[in-house]
Amino acid sequence: MTAQILDGIVFGLQLGLLASGLTLVYGLGGVLNLAYGQMAVISAMVVLFAMDAGISLWPAVGLGLLAGGLLGLFLDLTILRPVYRLRGEARVLLSLLLTLGVAFIVDGFLNWRFPLNSLSLHVGGGAVEIFGVPMRRGSLVASAITLVAFAALFVFFRYTTLGRAVRSVIEDEEGARLVGIDPRRMLRLILVLSGVLAAVVAMTRSMVAPVDVQSGFSITVFALIVTVVGGLGSVPGALLAGVILGIVNSIAATHIGTFLSLIILLGAAAVTILIRPSGLLGVKE
Amino acid sequence: MLEVSSYSAGYQGNDVVHDVSFHVDVGEAVMIIGSNGAGKTTLFRSICGLQPKTSGEVLFQEEDIAGMPAQRIVRRGLGFVPAERHLFPRMTVQEHLSLGAYPKRPDPETMSIVLDLFPRLAERQRQHAGTMSGGEQQMLAVGRALMSRPRLLVLDEPTTGLAPKLAREAYEALGVLRNQGLTVLVAEQQVPLAMAFSDRGYVLENGLIRLEGTSAELAENPDVRRAYLGVT
Repeated sequence: MTAQILDGIVFGLQLGLLASGLTLVYGLGGVLNLAYGQMAVISAMVVLFAMDAGISLWPAVGLGLLAGGLLGLFLDLTILRPVYRLRGEARVLLSLLLTLGVAFIVDGFLNWRFPLNSLSLHVGGGAVEIFGVPMRRGSLVASAITLVAFAALFVFFRYTTLGRAVRSVIEDEEGARLVGIDPRRMLRLILVLSGVLAAVVAMTRSMVAPVDVQSGFSITVFALIVTVVGGLGSVPGALLAGVILGIVNSIAATHIGTFLSLIILLGAAAVTILIRPSGLLGVKE
Repeated sequence: MLEVSSYSAGYQGNDVVHDVSFHVDVGEAVMIIGSNGAGKTTLFRSICGLQPKTSGEVLFQEEDIAGMPAQRIVRRGLGFVPAERHLFPRMTVQEHLSLGAYPKRPDPETMSIVLDLFPRLAERQRQHAGTMSGGEQQMLAVGRALMSRPRLLVLDEPTTGLAPKLAREAYEALGVLRNQGLTVLVAEQQVPLAMAFSDRGYVLENGLIRLEGTSAELAENPDVRRAYLGVT
């Protein structure tokens, strides 16, 4: 059981960071980005191609992060422009449809040109024992990076003017405008950040299991489930929900079967919405 | 300082405010009084860039700001405190005040002026806005607006939801700000308080300016006395 819980935490931290990007964009701008998983996959492919081209690991990782951020900026400047003209439910629906279109195009292209590509970043060294369970070094490095990313997010949102400005838009958009904050610029910034987070997750994930060109939609689905359970717009909620669902997923996969674990996660999400419609740490409307 | 001419605004083609003109001079305190639904909130929200206008002009320090988004108007020195306050429920008092100075860093001198004016805020710097009382929230909304060092402070019904004692205190605080040279425009239903505070006023009814004059003149007007001062 301890082994499954530890594996679950490793996966759950990544789920939490993944969902943070999605939940921030939604909480800030009412935009649901269904091409989120594809952003992660493209970043992973950038790292893969860079390394195949002979670029060493760290610059390749840097290019991957840059690609993630640029993808977020690209969405903001192109496909989301008509979305910004709408408000409320119409905005959510149009963003969902348009980004789904982007996801199909990206998936189609990657499957056509590079169907067999997958990124695996190998972390050398033997297993490390934690609570008597031998853990792969890749899992530990991935978790450490994820925790550092969460700490960076925490500092950004708590202590920097820009981070506070972003939070204020999530809290009350009109209030934010009344202190001179432009919500559109904050959304652009957060779309870039979400792309970088997607890239970080793709790379840390690839230290544990290969990230292949087909994984886009499953990444998006995981992020969506965690977002809903954690509460829209809440990064702490995403972290909490990610870890809980990571553990649920890991235990379900061992005792019931990998195939059913996604169904169980969906079930957990559905139950959460029934009991707490705003999610674990979401704001009540 | 502020010159509004032939201003009309409303929702989706239905104007709530029709062809309104008024002005606020430097150093003045001006009130716009009117009953619920007279169009005060629509007028103020539209002037301050939170909702669109239909027609008209708003000159603020010789610049036409009509139709500009709120975030740009604020940076020109017009601070707006809306009736619904629009605070950030899960953010602390201290975070509100430092965001008030956005995009600059909060100026320590302004911060101490605000905290002297509202000692309650100084005691509650780490409290979340969502857990504060109505009176404290109003202080915070005014304090947040002051942090940008506005030339003109516009308040929409600052006494909404406040007990009479707190409403009086709110106007006392505004009086202090006036004496420090701040120009103030206020919309109010609690007419006696606003009247004692302001130099001049306008009466808004059904989206039209019906009357204007100094506060003393308006206080003598039989229609105003009947409708807003409870004198029969």
